[in-house]
Amino acid sequence: MIKVKRKPFQEIVEAIQRYPTVLSVGCGGCASVCLGGGQKEVRLLNEELREYFLQQGQEKQFTEYTVERACNMDYVRELDELVPKKTVVLVMACAAGTQLIAERFPDTPVFPSVNTVAIGVDRDIGLYEERCRACGDCVVGYSGGICPITRCAKGLFNGPCGGTNQGMCEVDDAIPCAWQEIYERLKRQDRLQDVMKIRPPMEWRNQIQRTVVQAGYEERYMQEE
Amino acid sequence: MAIAQARNVDPALIQRTLAQHKPQIRFTLAVCAHCSMCAHSCFLYESRREPKYMPSHKMIHSIGYLFRKKGNVGLQELHSIGNIVWNRCVLCMRCYCPLGVDIPYMIGLARRICREQGVYRLYDEG
Repeated sequence: MIKVKRKPFQEIVEAIQRYPTVLSVGCGGCASVCLGGGQKEVRLLNEELREYFLQQGQEKQFTEYTVERACNMDYVRELDELVPKKTVVLVMACAAGTQLIAERFPDTPVFPSVNTVAIGVDRDIGLYEERCRACGDCVVGYSGGICPITRCAKGLFNGPCGGTNQGMCEVDDAIPCAWQEIYERLKRQDRLQDVMKIRPPMEWRNQIQRTVVQAGYEERYMQEE
Repeated sequence: MAIAQARNVDPALIQRTLAQHKPQIRFTLAVCAHCSMCAHSCFLYESRREPKYMPSHKMIHSIGYLFRKKGNVGLQELHSIGNIVWNRCVLCMRCYCPLGVDIPYMIGLARRICREQGVYRLYDEG
C-alpha cells in the first residue's frame, strides 16, 4: 500500500499561517493503515497546531474530518458542505487524494500535511519498507522477485555495478546489494539464465501522466471520435 | 482489529447525517430483496462462507439498523456497528447488487456515522 509520513511541523505551520479557519482532512485508506493520516493522526495534528498557534497569540479555528477514501470522488463529496466554510484545507492523504480534493475545491487553498513516501510493505506496526516505485513496467519476474529499481541505489537493470562489496552496497555498508540478492535468489531457484539476457533500459513511462483502464472496461471509457 | 471506543453517543448528530441521506437509505432498504446475490461478490464471504459477511447483511445491520432506530442507539449498539463496518468489510467497493443498490456507499455512510461519534478502526493496536 501507499505509505505517507507527516511533514515537518514547521512546514505545516507556514502553509496555514495566514488562514484563520483550517480544515484537516484525513483518509481512511492507505494513510490510516500506515498510521500517517487517519482519523487519529488528524486529531493529533489539529491539537498540536491549535496549541502552537495559541502560544503564538493567534486564535485559529481547527476542524477535522476523515473521508473513507481521499482518492474517490464519491467520498470526497462529503466535504462539499464543510470546505466552503473554511479558508484552507490540510490533507493527510497521499498526493493523489490531495489532488482530488484540490480538484473538487478549486477556490480553496489545499496543502498536504504528509509526504507520500512509498509503495511499501508492512514490517511491523509503524515500520514500513519501500518495495515499488510504480514504474509501470514491472521487471521483478526476471529479477527473482526483487525490484532493481527500488532496491538498487543506481536502479541498474543488468547486474551489479563495481561498487558491490561483500554483498553490500557502496552507498552504505548497511544496505544490501540488490543485485547480490537477485543473484542468490535466482541461483537458489536454478534460473540464473534469467539475468544473462541484456535488458533494455526502462521506457520511463511515469514521465507522463498515466491512466489505468482495466481489461474489459475499454469500451466504457472509449472516447467518441 | 481494535476499534476506537466512544465515550458517549450524540443521537442528534446521527439523525442529522441520516436525514441528509434519507431518500437513498429508504430506497435501499425498500429495494433490497434479501436475494443474497451480492454474497458472491464479497471476497470475505467467499472465503468464510458465513452469512454475517454477506454485503446485504452488513448493510442492513449497520446503516439499516441506525435508520430503523432513527439514530437512537446506545454505545454498545454503536460499537457493534463499528465492528461490522470495519472488521467485516474492507470497503473494496466490489460488492454488486442486481437491483442497483449502492452497498459500498451505504456501508461508507455507516462508517461516516461511526467516525462522527469517535468510533473508528485503530491500526496500531491488535
